[in-house]
Amino acid sequence: MNALRRGVRNAFRNAMRSVGVVVILAVAIALSISMLIARDAVTAKINSVRSTTGTTVTVSPAGFFGFSGGGTPLEQTKVNALLDLPNVVALQESLSEELSTSQTSLKTPTPTGFLGQRFGQGSSSGSGNGFGGGTHSFTLPVRVIGTNDPGTAVTGGANGGGTEKLVSGAAFKPTSTADVAVIGQTLATKNQLSVGSTFTAWGTKVTVVGIYSSGSTFADAEVLMPLATVQRLAAASNQVTGATITVNNISNVSSVSTAVSKALGSGASVTSTEQTVAAQLAPLNSVKSISTYTLFGAVAGAALILLLSMLMIVRERRREIGVLKAIGATNRSVIAQFVAESTTFTVLGALVGLVGGVALSNPITSALVNASSTTQSSFGGFVRPGSGGGGFGAGGNGFTPPSGGGPGGGGFGFHFHGFTNTLTQLHTSAGWSTLVFAFIMAIVIAAVGSSVAASTIVRISPAEVLRSE
Amino acid sequence: MLEVTKLNKSFKTPAGNVHAVKDVTFSAKNGEVVAIIGASGSGKSTLLSLLGLLDTPDSGTINVNEQPLATLDAAGRTKYRATQVGFVFQQFNLVPNLTARENVMLSLEFAHWPKDDRALRADAMLEMVGLDKSKADRRPAKLSGGEQQRVAIARAFAVQPEIILADEPTGSLDRATGQKIVALLHEAAESQGATVLVVTHDEKVAAQADRRLEIEDGTLVELA
Repeated sequence: MNALRRGVRNAFRNAMRSVGVVVILAVAIALSISMLIARDAVTAKINSVRSTTGTTVTVSPAGFFGFSGGGTPLEQTKVNALLDLPNVVALQESLSEELSTSQTSLKTPTPTGFLGQRFGQGSSSGSGNGFGGGTHSFTLPVRVIGTNDPGTAVTGGANGGGTEKLVSGAAFKPTSTADVAVIGQTLATKNQLSVGSTFTAWGTKVTVVGIYSSGSTFADAEVLMPLATVQRLAAASNQVTGATITVNNISNVSSVSTAVSKALGSGASVTSTEQTVAAQLAPLNSVKSISTYTLFGAVAGAALILLLSMLMIVRERRREIGVLKAIGATNRSVIAQFVAESTTFTVLGALVGLVGGVALSNPITSALVNASSTTQSSFGGFVRPGSGGGGFGAGGNGFTPPSGGGPGGGGFGFHFHGFTNTLTQLHTSAGWSTLVFAFIMAIVIAAVGSSVAASTIVRISPAEVLRSE
Repeated sequence: MLEVTKLNKSFKTPAGNVHAVKDVTFSAKNGEVVAIIGASGSGKSTLLSLLGLLDTPDSGTINVNEQPLATLDAAGRTKYRATQVGFVFQQFNLVPNLTARENVMLSLEFAHWPKDDRALRADAMLEMVGLDKSKADRRPAKLSGGEQQRVAIARAFAVQPEIILADEPTGSLDRATGQKIVALLHEAAESQGATVLVVTHDEKVAAQADRRLEIEDGTLVELA
């Protein structure tokens, strides 16, 4: 029987203690494995979200906010120059405008609602309540988005809502200068328009070439037109109110974002999706940090438990070690015996812990993510990059937006709630990497757990032990 | 043949320097049983530790078959303990979770005996010390004190050592069993050709030895 076999047998010498040590190790290892799995799942989710949303930089005029507009439009020539920046692979520009009732034949299908009613009330002199200052009825303007990327626009890129799809007709060409439009289905229905129909905008007859549907009341009440056309009709030459820059790699987003800010100056608000998503990923990053710390804490705890247990065992068997040395055992063989014993504890703990950790990983991950996301939800809504700003419900009588005013608001804001639900839906799985981790962890724990025991063994003098007999 | 010359060993204690072994000089032939008697604290166990290379002397020499042990390094000392010396302790000091056979095989393992021969050798040694065959697979807790000491003697003699160092081998046994153990040591010394040093404070045990040495305050004298 060699030292290793003796060590394995020694692990079962005191059944109660062995069970106790193995159970404690198993709990610690289960915790660390579940944390590893949670960490992997969260990391995968973060990478997934980043890889799909994190390579764009959005530019809008500083102070620009949703329907309310604001800010000075950006100069298109300066924005176009952004395409020459390193690592920029694509540039999408848009110009948001609003058509008042006097500027278009279109009637908005969007109900005015409670807010509109409040805006519409007031005296005719305009000194009373509400924005309108008159008794005339409030009507929402029709939003027009000029874009040089209609392909994306009708599949959820530029326009608010995110799920637009053409239901009839076709999109216009990105470089088109024609007086054509793709309109939302609700707007089309309200105005009894179909592909080939016409409507007036800024006194010009515009032909409907396509109709899209998004399922969103706001999004389906909009008009998409070629950017150049909107610039011409709205007398907004060389103006854009939004640009979406696509970067070649997520790792370059930050540098491109900085370069864009530098190029456009303080008049532009530059937001990268990476930054925006990073803020929303904060709960997941928090879970990742927690799981990482807990993972290493649990491993360290397990190692400490084993270390103390082995130290206790070595002290308890001091005489036996002395006798073994006296009859010719080398330090190496005695240490090997105790390392085998601690490894046996660890392997048993790792086996039980692996099963427990895998079983517990899903509920623990869900609990961590849900708890973290609940905390995060108090920070408010999420504004979709590239769409401009947060929308709001409007309606009522008496408010008429300024005719021929500056660029209008961007797309519709949507709240983070739905995104949160997606983020909290994590898939946990244990693969070979988990098994390898458990194996490595067992070795580390056993090594650390045995180290002090080994040094104690080396220091045990058989003469002293036997003298005290 | 064991030859010890002017062996000295001191310890520092809170009470001061203790000269445990003073200029000890003696020799013992192969197959001879030598009893070292002395009161508690007289230096008996220290002398045994020095002879077993468990401790290093401050000065003096120990030669076994004209081979000086002072020049051995740590590995050499371990090898010496594994192959040249056998220990028998008062408390038997068997490994509790190993069977009687496995305990004997332990010393064979440390002496690097061929694996295949260990079990046979262990059984032969257990037979030599008179342990019932049926008890070879029992753990120490299932053996009587006398049986445990027999196993310890079998373990000590298994590797055919030059020297057997027995520290109060009968101290935990009744008189009759103790006498049997001493007789056994005699037989083993004779059959194996080993030098047996028995440390005891029991005059009757000492009387069974071929020679008697007395140690008092670290100084060894030969008794008639």
